[in-house]
Amino acid sequence: MSVPLKVIYNEESTKSIGNDLRKVAVQPIVNYSNISKSYGDLQVLRNIDLDIAPGEKVALIGPSGSGKTTLARLLMTLEEPTSGTIEVDGEMLWHQKTNGKLVKANEKHLHKVRGNIGMVFQHFNLFPHMTILRNVMEAPRNVLGLSKEEAMERAVTMLKQVGLANKIDAYPAQLSGGQKQRVAIARALVMRPKVMIFDEPTSALDPELVGEVLEVIKAIAAEGEMAMLLITHEMDFARDVADRILFFDQGRIIEQGSPKRIFNNPESERLQTFLSRFNRH
Amino acid sequence: MWNWDYTLLILPQILEALKITVSATFVAFAVALVVGLILTLARRSDFKPLSLFAQGFIEFVRSTPLLVQLYFIFYVLPEHGLSLSPFIAGVMGLGLHYSTYLSEVYRGGIESIPPGQWEAAKALNFTPLETWRKIILPQSIPPVIPVMGNYLITMFKETPVLSAITLVEIMQTAKMLGSHSFRYLEAFTIVGVLFLVLSYSSSLMVRRLEVRLNLR
Amino acid sequence: MWFDILPSFWEGAKITIQLTLFSAVIAFFLAFLAGFGRLSKIKAVRFLAATYVEIFRGTSLFVQLFWIYFALPLFGIMLPKMLAGVLALSLNAGAYGSEIVRSTIISVPKGQTEAAIALNMTPWQRTWLVILPQALVMMLPAFGNLIIEMLKGTALVSLVTLADLTFVATVLNSSIMRPTEIFSVLLVIYFVISLPFTRGIRWIEHRLSAGRY
Ligand SMILES: Nc1ncnc2c1ncn2[C@@H]1O[C@H](COP(=O)(O)OP(=O)(O)OP(=O)(O)O)[C@@H](O)[C@H]1O
Ligand SMILES: [Mg+2]
Repeated sequence: MSVPLKVIYNEESTKSIGNDLRKVAVQPIVNYSNISKSYGDLQVLRNIDLDIAPGEKVALIGPSGSGKTTLARLLMTLEEPTSGTIEVDGEMLWHQKTNGKLVKANEKHLHKVRGNIGMVFQHFNLFPHMTILRNVMEAPRNVLGLSKEEAMERAVTMLKQVGLANKIDAYPAQLSGGQKQRVAIARALVMRPKVMIFDEPTSALDPELVGEVLEVIKAIAAEGEMAMLLITHEMDFARDVADRILFFDQGRIIEQGSPKRIFNNPESERLQTFLSRFNRH
Repeated sequence: MWNWDYTLLILPQILEALKITVSATFVAFAVALVVGLILTLARRSDFKPLSLFAQGFIEFVRSTPLLVQLYFIFYVLPEHGLSLSPFIAGVMGLGLHYSTYLSEVYRGGIESIPPGQWEAAKALNFTPLETWRKIILPQSIPPVIPVMGNYLITMFKETPVLSAITLVEIMQTAKMLGSHSFRYLEAFTIVGVLFLVLSYSSSLMVRRLEVRLNLR
Repeated sequence: MWFDILPSFWEGAKITIQLTLFSAVIAFFLAFLAGFGRLSKIKAVRFLAATYVEIFRGTSLFVQLFWIYFALPLFGIMLPKMLAGVLALSLNAGAYGSEIVRSTIISVPKGQTEAAIALNMTPWQRTWLVILPQALVMMLPAFGNLIIEMLKGTALVSLVTLADLTFVATVLNSSIMRPTEIFSVLLVIYFVISLPFTRGIRWIEHRLSAGRY
């Protein structure tokens, strides 16, 4: 596919990127272009433009109900955009060309493009009827078509990485919340996606279990090659892991920039108000 | 194949018999409501033999055919000096059979009452009878009214079985009309359509009631 | 005494059990067909499935059996008694079973489908690997109850003179006139046949509430 190379950080999409602007002339791994999403009369996303570079870690922060989850769900094909296009690795996600015309993608097309993306959910969504090992093996085996041995080897390696090699034969109900989320991370990682979405991976956890999950995510981020879209209310974590922070409010990207810039010099009033709530404690 | 003149000829007779069907349904439903509640209370009783008996009765009646229970009431009881008309035997059989289902409904309603309510009644020094009458039943019955409504509809649909003990309700009327003329198609189709229309429209009503109750 | 009449029930019991098992297999199949049909993306399929379910739940087995046995011949379709019995029982139970299938499938949390999509499973794989295994376990007790309802329903075939347990009993009664013994024994036989199912359901329910869910 010949897609014109884009300049990451489209100038119109944001007013306040200032000196953090890094112009990178590579094809973005994800491109949202003029994306809007409405539920009936409620407009949840308003004309979003956003590029994510390969390997880039982008953190999405913002008040509840601002549309962060919706933005992620559109990329995971769990929700369909009302208008606009999304490209993944240079290929349209929700649209395909048939006889030169752009039409809605069919399941086959979605299947092809979706393979680049993985997601970790707030509530884990492990398969309760499968052991931990099978939770992680099932997709490599059936979706990637690996042999049983290969799938098992990959799954075990992944489970070791998240520190759960000893829980292979347990069922999800026998694990703590933190362990469940680490299994969910292994299950998503084992598919080797190019982009990984984390939607508030720790907000359903007891406070004392948050640390272990964040550590695992940090370690994965440090490996580098996979792009990440992190939705989080853990500001310290966002600062540590992200290359770029997006502040979201009322369906728009209000402000974006490097963690240092966003946290030290918030420009918009809304971001300042938003951050002040976290700084107080 | 389908004869409209004949249909119009027999329709009034079948509609006339609908009265028996409907009254059998309501009387049997009343029996089921009362016996069902008694069974539920007996099952919760601290007196072990009583609760075991109720449990055994429920399981036995639920696992055996209504038709055979009707035969039992209609043919066995007279042997022991209790002759019943088809109507009485029919509503007794149908009512007892469904009382075991309704006892489950009551039980569900009662078990959904939070334990705090029992404790509150105790704290207020209510007698057991007062507790049931004033606290437990008034709270446990309204939420299960739609389920009871569905059982009323089910019992209505089951009334044709009563024709087996010669009660002349709509199915028996249709059978008699059919055997006179050797044409069963119209009579049985009318019965089917009648049941379908009446039970479907009542079930829509129950569904609406359910929505209203959920909104409260 | 009562046990001298017991052997007479043997042939009838065979018919009753055969009728239950044959009908259960077909009903199970119909239940899945109609249950999935009601969840189909295609409107015509949903409509067809809903029509089948409403018709067979809106009238009773009794009416359906009589219609199939007495009214169908006027269309030139004359079914043998056994076939008419199996057809009525399975069509009727299939309609009820489809509600079991439909309601358990939609009760599997949405997050399960979403996780399956996130792993890029095909719609077929989502259903077979993720949704159905979870729904099936929930269906078992309800299907057990449905089989008991079917067993009870078989008694109605005696009214179209198929020689099941109940038919044998009525014939026996009209010849030897011992209703108390005959109908008591008959009730007990039905109860005994149902026992494995009621025990099985209870065992499964117990496993489910104690198990890993
Ligand atoms: N399926 C839906 N139907 C209708 N409205 C929806 C639906 N999903 C989300 N919304 C609405 O869209 C808005 C954005 O929701 P979204 O979940 O994207 O917010 P969020 O930023 O992730 O919030 P949070 O921090 O609470 O997770 C909210 O007002 C929400 O109520
Ligand atoms: Mg969210």
